[in-house]
Amino acid sequence: MNLKIVGTDFLYSIRSWTRSRGTVFWSLLFPVMLILLFGAIFSGMGESKYTLYVQDLDNTDMSHSLVTILNKTNVLNIKNVTKNDDITKYIKDNNIKNLIVIPEGYENDITRSFSDPSAKVNITYYFDPTETQTNQILRSVISSVLEGLNMQLTQGKTIIGLTEQSTVTENFGFIDFFIPGMIGFTIMQQSIYGSIERNTKFRKDGILRKLLTTPITRSEWILAKMLFMLFLAFISTSVAIGVGVLAFGIKVNINLLTIIIVIATSFLFSGIGMIIGRFVKEEETADMAAGAISFPMMFLAGTFFAVESMPSIIQIIARALPLYYVNEGLRNAMIYMNQTEALINGGIVLIFAAIFFIAGVILTKWKED
Amino acid sequence: MIEQRFKCPNCQEIATFYGNPGETKVVTCAACNTKGRVIIPGEKQDNNVAIEVSHLKKVYDDLIAVNDISFTVKKGEIFAFLGPNGAGKTTTVEMIESIRTPTAGAIRLLGADTKTGFNQIKERISILPQEFHSFERFTVRETLTYFSKLYKKRANIDEILDAMDLQSHEKKLYRNLSGGLKQRVGVALSLVNDPEIVFLDEPTTGLDPKARREVWQVIANLRNKGKTVFLTTHYMEEAEHLADHIAIIHKGKIIAEGSLQELLTTYGEKTTLYIKNCHSEDARQLLEEKGFEAHSSGNGDIMVKIDYKEKVLEVLSELRHECIEYDGVDIRGSNLEEVFLRLTGARLTEEAET
Repeated sequence: MNLKIVGTDFLYSIRSWTRSRGTVFWSLLFPVMLILLFGAIFSGMGESKYTLYVQDLDNTDMSHSLVTILNKTNVLNIKNVTKNDDITKYIKDNNIKNLIVIPEGYENDITRSFSDPSAKVNITYYFDPTETQTNQILRSVISSVLEGLNMQLTQGKTIIGLTEQSTVTENFGFIDFFIPGMIGFTIMQQSIYGSIERNTKFRKDGILRKLLTTPITRSEWILAKMLFMLFLAFISTSVAIGVGVLAFGIKVNINLLTIIIVIATSFLFSGIGMIIGRFVKEEETADMAAGAISFPMMFLAGTFFAVESMPSIIQIIARALPLYYVNEGLRNAMIYMNQTEALINGGIVLIFAAIFFIAGVILTKWKED
Repeated sequence: MIEQRFKCPNCQEIATFYGNPGETKVVTCAACNTKGRVIIPGEKQDNNVAIEVSHLKKVYDDLIAVNDISFTVKKGEIFAFLGPNGAGKTTTVEMIESIRTPTAGAIRLLGADTKTGFNQIKERISILPQEFHSFERFTVRETLTYFSKLYKKRANIDEILDAMDLQSHEKKLYRNLSGGLKQRVGVALSLVNDPEIVFLDEPTTGLDPKARREVWQVIANLRNKGKTVFLTTHYMEEAEHLADHIAIIHKGKIIAEGSLQELLTTYGEKTTLYIKNCHSEDARQLLEEKGFEAHSSGNGDIMVKIDYKEKVLEVLSELRHECIEYDGVDIRGSNLEEVFLRLTGARLTEEAET
């Protein structure tokens, strides 16, 4: 391995990139524009299916009845959390967006309220503040159910109240959700299209044939190009974070896991680009193939909208897409500080990266048939 | 090349041809037209050989792209590999450059077997691939510097820019250059490692006549610098103008090989005398009666085949004697186009366009 050659190619790649206004625009300014635009427009998106986790600490007929009524609304998909689970830890570990806790003594307090007008019981509703619209709907459904129960029990007097608590300790907005997604999307675009340029345009222009007859080896060339792709990935990540901090005042945690996910993402999508470039010879067709892969992934993998807000079949598809794990990994590592989730998602991204990059390297050929 | 003599086994005539010891040549007796293979006696002098190709073959499914071809290229010569599009030129040159893997056969570059020793000779060769376009956003100087940094042995970039007359364009981006300048940069790129062999695959395709001649001058200068040039082309004038040695390939096989003079002597037609605007059928008949092979061209000219140029005066004196009028005369010698036509029954330019 001649690192001098690798360094030369890396530096020349940067020089060439800075001279292409189009590439600089799509790499840096376009994501910035999207961040500013989406950040200004959206504050949250509605869901079509709402999952509500319920922890019933009372476990009595009345508490069961409440769960049954909630279930009967047909708006909610109720999932039970066991009594023994520490709710704060459970929410963090499982990335729970909406949950209610029926407190111990729920039935007793209600019964007591018949004789003691001051007796009350509060249901605690945990919610993800980044999903404003979903929260509004769920809050409204739960409140209606409780209102109905209050009416039934006491002809309108409030016995069962609702206390709200954020699932996260800080107040996150849409922009906190969006910026990690935008970083994942930008790295994906740069890596896929960069690989395609190297594998189809350079092949068509005879550059790969020329390089094949020079002392540079295929591995030195790929290493140099990967260094360049990482350089771009970190530049665009920095720009996206910079805009988020300066324009929207988001708080970002840059840690080792974030860096690992950014690196793995660059390798992952470069590998996908190499595979496309191997099988699609024409530059224009390769661009179309890249678009056909990256655009649906952009919308389905939770770049702009939470995957949980999509129909269940789409959610299944989303969880098969590598960009989903990139987005989730970056969000948990950078914003939500949920390192367990970040580690799991980062691990999945690393596995995807290893598979696609190795396959891409194996399939990338300089020699003609 | 040394002048060699052979005795025709058919008519016993002594004839001459050019070749080197150890070489096998196909020769034709000028007297009786008998063709035969002659092995020039003596030890083969490999130290003077830059490229040696033997029994090279490339097969794609049902298609035989290159069919058992053998040839050698001497050091310091311009070797033109001439043939129409699809004849197998690029496939052959790309097998020599190790870009494609041969189905069969052996290739030696500067004495090294390319199957096992290609990496060792990368420093000593350079190529300009067909339809080559370099990095669009590099300047001319950066393009040369980038490629030169890939090699241990580096030529002086300023000298290359100077030699290729590219100094005034060195700061221009590659994408802003004209087609001719791009090709000149391409040839210049082939010099950044001061190579011993330069492969140029169709370096003038798509260029206008002026740009083509500029590139020809650059290629001719490579020979002056002592480089061996392997040039593939479908332009016969290019081969005629530049090559020391020409191999004509057709449908994957080499159908003729030698210097321009050898090819013209062996396969060329007789010289043709064009008598311009001579609208007299009597003139054609008269010349035929006098033993000349004369044809009407259809546009008023009469074409007369002559063995040697001295016959011109004889033809013209016959016409003057009969007071036949004409506007002027034009003498056209044989060329590679005719050689190709004679060998294949097709015109090189027509095949090239298909």
